[in-house]
Amino acid sequence: MLKLIFIAVINLAVTLALAPLLDGFMRRIKAVVHSRQGPPLLQTYYDLFKLFGKEDMEGAGGVIFRLAPVVCLGSVLLAALFTPMGGPAPLGFGGDLFLLVYLLSIPGIAIMLGAMSCGSPYAMLGASREMMLVLTVEPILLITLFTAGIKADSLVLADLSGWTLTHGWSISAVIAGLALFLSLQSELAKLPFDIAEAETEIMEGPFVEYSGPKLALFKWALYAKMVIYISLFLEVFLPWPKTGILAADLLSNLVKVFIVIGLVELIELVNPRLRIDQALNYFKGVAVLALVGLAFALMGL
Amino acid sequence: MTREELTRKLTEHLGKALPAMSTAGNMLLVKIKAEDLPTLAGYVFNQLGARLITTVGTDRTPLTGNYEVSYLFSFDRADLFLSLKVEIDPANPVIESVTPVIPGADWAEREVRDLIGVVPKNHPDPRRLVLADDWPEELYPLRKDFPYDYKPPQATVAGPRMKKAPEQATVMTVGPFFPTLEEPAYFRLFVEGERIVGSDYRGFYSHRGIEKLADTVLDYNKITFLAERICGICGFVHSCCYCQAVEAAAEIEVPARAKYIRTIMLELERLHSHLLWLGLAGHIIGFDTVLMQSWRIREQLMWLTEQITGNRKTYGMNLVGGVRRDIPEKLQPKIKEVLAKVESESRQVVEAIAGDTTLLMRLQNVGYLSAADARSFCVVGPTARASGVDIDSRRDHPYAAYPDLQFTVPVYNEGDTWARTLVRLDELFVSIDLVRQALGRLPGGPIMAENTEVPPEREGLAVVEAPRGECCHYVLTGTDRPERWRVRASTYPQLQAAPSMFANQTVADAPIIIGSIDPCFSCTERMETVDVESGKLRVYTREELLKAGRAGCKGGDSRA
Repeated sequence: MLKLIFIAVINLAVTLALAPLLDGFMRRIKAVVHSRQGPPLLQTYYDLFKLFGKEDMEGAGGVIFRLAPVVCLGSVLLAALFTPMGGPAPLGFGGDLFLLVYLLSIPGIAIMLGAMSCGSPYAMLGASREMMLVLTVEPILLITLFTAGIKADSLVLADLSGWTLTHGWSISAVIAGLALFLSLQSELAKLPFDIAEAETEIMEGPFVEYSGPKLALFKWALYAKMVIYISLFLEVFLPWPKTGILAADLLSNLVKVFIVIGLVELIELVNPRLRIDQALNYFKGVAVLALVGLAFALMGL
Repeated sequence: MTREELTRKLTEHLGKALPAMSTAGNMLLVKIKAEDLPTLAGYVFNQLGARLITTVGTDRTPLTGNYEVSYLFSFDRADLFLSLKVEIDPANPVIESVTPVIPGADWAEREVRDLIGVVPKNHPDPRRLVLADDWPEELYPLRKDFPYDYKPPQATVAGPRMKKAPEQATVMTVGPFFPTLEEPAYFRLFVEGERIVGSDYRGFYSHRGIEKLADTVLDYNKITFLAERICGICGFVHSCCYCQAVEAAAEIEVPARAKYIRTIMLELERLHSHLLWLGLAGHIIGFDTVLMQSWRIREQLMWLTEQITGNRKTYGMNLVGGVRRDIPEKLQPKIKEVLAKVESESRQVVEAIAGDTTLLMRLQNVGYLSAADARSFCVVGPTARASGVDIDSRRDHPYAAYPDLQFTVPVYNEGDTWARTLVRLDELFVSIDLVRQALGRLPGGPIMAENTEVPPEREGLAVVEAPRGECCHYVLTGTDRPERWRVRASTYPQLQAAPSMFANQTVADAPIIIGSIDPCFSCTERMETVDVESGKLRVYTREELLKAGRAGCKGGDSRA
């Protein structure tokens, strides 16, 4: 029990405290590729700190507008308790896989509701784009996790990870892992799929009316989401190395997260933003790939 | 087509002798009766294949008692300009609009109406173009009896008259301030879902009336520096074009070395401008790696022009009759070295871009402009050349040192944003080659003409191929200063073609479509930013600003 509380604290700390560092790391990579000096590694912390220090504007919307950022960050933190990040998930139980997928879809819904409540046409367009992306990309996450679940004959996240560790990759796991990786860019709202925000087209879309602490909450939630998605991907499809020593496993997971985020950033750097129709076409392809993976799993491969 | 041929054809078409005719350089000046204008303009544009450059409205009441409106046409292949001039009685300042025949005349006619007060009858879109929405009616700033320092009464609240959105469509505004617009411009997009079904435009927020300033306060050489400040990107084009217009009017022979120096600076300016555009285009579609890399390459050119002229931009090199500063022998190896570096680095960027499939997805078949539309809106520059309209003032109306140099004019037929990108990328290397050629042949001698006197009552027209397309300056000389100076920047016709490029595109494409014509709003609107006249500066406190801002949010009067 004590150990679980310890892991819960670690998970929350990593998600909350370390997430801005990931963004800082991405900004450093960006600067190198851009031939720029770039901001300090800790810049994202300073930015959040600055936003929290600003006046909390009531803004255009009502209760929903005010609650959306809180719900968004809250659901991400809750999801952190169900996500294994090296060690076991603090609140793992039978069927937690579905709960996690539900929890992970809440941030997107919160962003949409907040955007729709403020009435700005940019926010509305951003919200509708977000909705289209969520509806196309979230099922891929569900299908791929389910594929791994069929192989492991369990819907407990911890079992999925354990099965991959003992049995290695199967054909279906490779396909599902690939599909999940291909959709990661969109889950993390990175180019070429940062379509819902699209600063140069619709001025950050859903966030156009947000400022100060509320904007900071949203931003923080998005950074935290990166940790969760990447950890989930790594735990289910790339769980190695696992030593059994908790500290070492937590650390190795962190290193892997940084490597994956580096890859994500490199993809972001060599792509322009796609149009929503082009992105949806792309994800239809990825969804088919995920379904193929599922079919293989059903055939026992 | 020769001058004689054109005269003969015009006379034949009209069925009677032309009232009055003269020539100025390669411009044929024809005075016609107001009622003959639409038929002659239509004939010249449709049958003879001329391109409308712009119109010039002039108040000649002190001298002749009339207003004059000139329609300037270009026969690009024949290096021939035609000015159809109509005299208008101030008692009844109405002219039959030619916009129904030549869509590209739209803004030019509205501008004459706003500034001189000659109303184009049957104009399809008679809304205000240049003047502010709260400017009083019946007050025409370019009339000679209008004092240049007149201040209209305190404004009442007035918004622009915009078109009504079609039913079912929502309005998306791009501007007046928008992340990808470096200057104020107001596009209203009527959208259904993501698809654009219509658009409207209001611009000229940066209009500052420099043409008025030129014909009341400044003198010939001061205008050169004012002209350079019209644009922060292609300012040298404007000062060069203005000087050439005055030189053409006064028949000043510019020394060969000055012409070569102008050519070198023009091409260096094109290089930095195209690299700037490439970066911005990348940024608009979220490709910041392109932005950072192409601006890094461009920076070397900025340092180079600083070494040559003392300034990164706004070189201040031109004067009527020549240039103020020589390019010393010892700088030439440096120029060649920078060119070599810019060439190899641009080559790398171009190769990387050409192979990028995601980039192609965003640019191909986006913002299509047909050759027919390009011609009817009288579009110029890379925008025209990407739609298969093969015009380039450097070749068609040779000026400066261009007659001595060899160069190709890249033309593409696809008419989309990608074609416009390719034209500019090709032109990078053409420009590098042109600078090299000009340096290799740089003749000796003086850089300033000896006699730069400007006699009054002469007309001069000059075109210069700016990075964005043909820039045109017209000068009617007076005593000590021009009687009339008219500037037509290259974005002026391109913006009028924007609605047809928006057709059936999505909101996501709108910024890159606007970006693809490389718009320069201050050029178009003839802005002047240096003038802080009164020196009175009101400092707002934070509370006042907040109050004003919030009052605005609630739809109240923000000037609390």
